[in-house]
Amino acid sequence: MSAITHDAAAVGSTRPGLGVGRLVAHTTSLTKRSVIGRLRQPAALAPSFIFPLFFAALGAASFSRIADRPDFQAIAPSFLNYNAAGAILQGVLFAAVSASGDLATDIEQGFFERLLASPVSRTSIILGRLGSAMVVAMVQVVVFLAIFMVFGARIETGVVGFFGLLVGGALLALAMAGLMSGVAVRSGSPEVVQGSFPLVFALMFLSSAFFPRIYMTGWYRTVADWNPMSHIVEGMQSFMNEPLALDQFLRAWVIPLIVAAAGIMFALRALSTRLKAL
Amino acid sequence: MTSPAPIVASGLVRHFGSGDSAVKAVDGVDLQVNDGEIFGFLGPNGAGKSTTVRVLTTLLKPTGGSARVAGFDVATEADKVRRAIGVALQDAAIDPLMTGRELLALQCVLYGIPKARSASRGEELLERVGLTAAGDRRVGTYSGGMRRRLDLALSLVHEPSVLFLDEPTTGLDPMSRLTLWEEVRRLNREGTTVLLTTQYLEEADQLADRVAIIDHGRIVREGVPRDLKAAVGAPTLLVNVKPEQIESARSVLARFGDLRPTAEGTLGVGLVQGAEAVATVIRALDEAGVHVQHLELNEPSLDDVFAEATGYRLEGAETSAPAVAGPPAGKPGRRRR
Repeated sequence: MSAITHDAAAVGSTRPGLGVGRLVAHTTSLTKRSVIGRLRQPAALAPSFIFPLFFAALGAASFSRIADRPDFQAIAPSFLNYNAAGAILQGVLFAAVSASGDLATDIEQGFFERLLASPVSRTSIILGRLGSAMVVAMVQVVVFLAIFMVFGARIETGVVGFFGLLVGGALLALAMAGLMSGVAVRSGSPEVVQGSFPLVFALMFLSSAFFPRIYMTGWYRTVADWNPMSHIVEGMQSFMNEPLALDQFLRAWVIPLIVAAAGIMFALRALSTRLKAL
Repeated sequence: MTSPAPIVASGLVRHFGSGDSAVKAVDGVDLQVNDGEIFGFLGPNGAGKSTTVRVLTTLLKPTGGSARVAGFDVATEADKVRRAIGVALQDAAIDPLMTGRELLALQCVLYGIPKARSASRGEELLERVGLTAAGDRRVGTYSGGMRRRLDLALSLVHEPSVLFLDEPTTGLDPMSRLTLWEEVRRLNREGTTVLLTTQYLEEADQLADRVAIIDHGRIVREGVPRDLKAAVGAPTLLVNVKPEQIESARSVLARFGDLRPTAEGTLGVGLVQGAEAVATVIRALDEAGVHVQHLELNEPSLDDVFAEATGYRLEGAETSAPAVAGPPAGKPGRRRR
């Protein structure tokens, strides 16, 4: 081991990079760690793949003939084409909540404290989790699309639509993981984070994720109209189906981006509050 | 020019909560750890040693007082402190899903070790703590001793000048404890200042150049173990008698010195006249009709120092780590009694 000193000046030689470079390096490494952790817990990751596919199979078996109606045809050429975005939405939301649960687990089990004892950029602790949620979301988009295409779905808008879904999925993961990371940091409890699943379910089932709004009536229709999930998923659906329009991009990308900005601010504020309370 | 002591605390206070219900975990600790020392922080659970370490390692903010570590103020220059120190905390988990090599690589990034250097640094450290073969295994498959060794390796990636070890051997088997002790000594020989907390008397006695005994958030004794033990003076005679004869035995023993706190069911007396008085004590007990079941003469130990300072002893399993086999590997001239 080389010579060890304790005077203040010598410490500069092991000083990590400052500013953006340090933040990027730390975020990248913590993202990698989080992704590895997700991949090494297949039992935790599997539900975010299996349940959306199960619901998609159920929906396709039950409602596929609805796609014969002309008003449905105006939205999507097949029920599978319609349902793909809903499955992606569901899977991404599940995975993003789980990723935030892992952050709470870090706090509960002490890895968070290990990080705090190091000169890690505090912001990167949150951003690393968000990064992993985005990476897993993009993998989910690819896997879901591949499976849906095996069963006859088509990305009618081609590469642009695929790219739109990929980015849309990642932004949606960023939004949900941002909000839930705030909950994780504030509570420090994985159970509290997991407890938000019913809310996620409610948001999904009260949207047009599984059925078009044109067939909804009464309060259900009103809630779905106001539910941002409806607009996000319809934007995502439009990436699968012609015609591809700018306003659809905006719905699929901008709404999650706005929620993500709010979510990240919430998470960073929660982190700041936790650190101040030390 | 003399460099400042690497760890200095002055009137350090840390309270949890406020008002009348505030818990005074650290209540005015003054501390100086000198360059190149192994400093033992000894005390039972809840005495305040871990809280003190957490303040010194910037994980908690002090409620009052001040502390400088590696030349930096822990409250206002926390980031600089973190870059200079290595920390292995008892309750800071190691991610069980990652491998040892992956965690070392992550730690290197966090401490700004250049990529070209980090791989070789990781290998050096794995070899140093004897985990080269296990480096690609997930930490979840490691034994407790392996985790502690990896924890130590993680705390060393940036070659810190000051190392904090919070109860580094708690729960370890004797062989793992010996291995870790040897590694701590080796680091110290290489120039690292070490502050370790422990609730094991033997560990403090074996490793530390100086110890501080903390109780209820205050340091009650501080010094070189040999001097502290010498200050206690008389050896302790421990006597076990039948429960119904305890009071008789107590009055006899009191004639030979101060009664000392002991484990329940045992009487202890500091023999003013030294070991030579043992035969006289036995005769006196016999004459008083007290039947001695067990008798043991102990030279002053850190436990006696602790008892003398606090009025009670470190109890049961917390005090006595599993005995280590073989001769003590402590510093020259130091012997466990």
